[in-house]
Amino acid sequence: MEFKRFLINKLILFFMLSTLITVAVSVIGSAFAADAQLSYGTLLTPIVYAALCLLPTFVTWSRHELTPKQMLLRKALMLVLLEAVMLFIAFTSPTIDTGRIQVVLVIAGSVLVIFVLANLFVWLKESAEARQMNCDLKAFQKLHE
Amino acid sequence: MEVRIEKIGKEQEELVLIRCHAVTEQVQEIEAFVKSRQGSLSCISDAKKYEIPVTDICYIESVDGKTFLYTNDRVYETAYRIYELEEMLKPKHFLRISKPMLVNLMKIRSIQPAFNGRFLAVLNSGEKIIISRYYVKALKAALRGE
Repeated sequence: MEFKRFLINKLILFFMLSTLITVAVSVIGSAFAADAQLSYGTLLTPIVYAALCLLPTFVTWSRHELTPKQMLLRKALMLVLLEAVMLFIAFTSPTIDTGRIQVVLVIAGSVLVIFVLANLFVWLKESAEARQMNCDLKAFQKLHE
Repeated sequence: MEVRIEKIGKEQEELVLIRCHAVTEQVQEIEAFVKSRQGSLSCISDAKKYEIPVTDICYIESVDGKTFLYTNDRVYETAYRIYELEEMLKPKHFLRISKPMLVNLMKIRSIQPAFNGRFLAVLNSGEKIIISRYYVKALKAALRGE
């Protein structure tokens, strides 16, 4: 894959992540600190989180096409790095109460659940596409036999 | 080199004749091109020259500027560039599935997902090759005959 094309994809992902993190922060904040007073600086949190979360995704880049096994390994590595980045953010943020183990577990668990669900949905969508392509392939081969 | 085209009757056999002072590289290229249009490709394997039918080729790959043809059991090298073969073999159901690779659609047994919008083409030989996400749309269109 060309690196320029890869960067464009990452930029799209960045904007998607910013939006989704804003939603996640508001849901988690409402559950654990509904009365918290937030500064204007806090508004930048989703953008900073999105930028930091984007960094681990660069491990999936390769000049050559990766085999499914290689891609799976890189995705596993990406998940580990994502967890590390998110927990780093949590432990260095003054607004997140990492003294409570539940908060740490919710953050780590959210990353895992979102990552697994996102990849599962993509896999299901691609499986359906592959089934359709197989039907088209059989028809194509029969027609040109 | 002068080029003449002579129309003949249907009772006569069609023939491409090259009259030359010496069999140069250019003449060999013309010969290879004509043969490719007939359904075979000139290639090399173990320092020997071969003419292999296009229908026997499973896929074609370009590696470090060299082009390789893969059949069920052998690998051949050809002097053609991948973009030349892409144009030449389009009518023979060959399609580009990644930057360095063309596949014979008639040799694909099935298609499987392979993460990140990519797919895996499982060939009749059992070999698996990656379909890059940027060529998936073209593959879908080709399979639907669009």
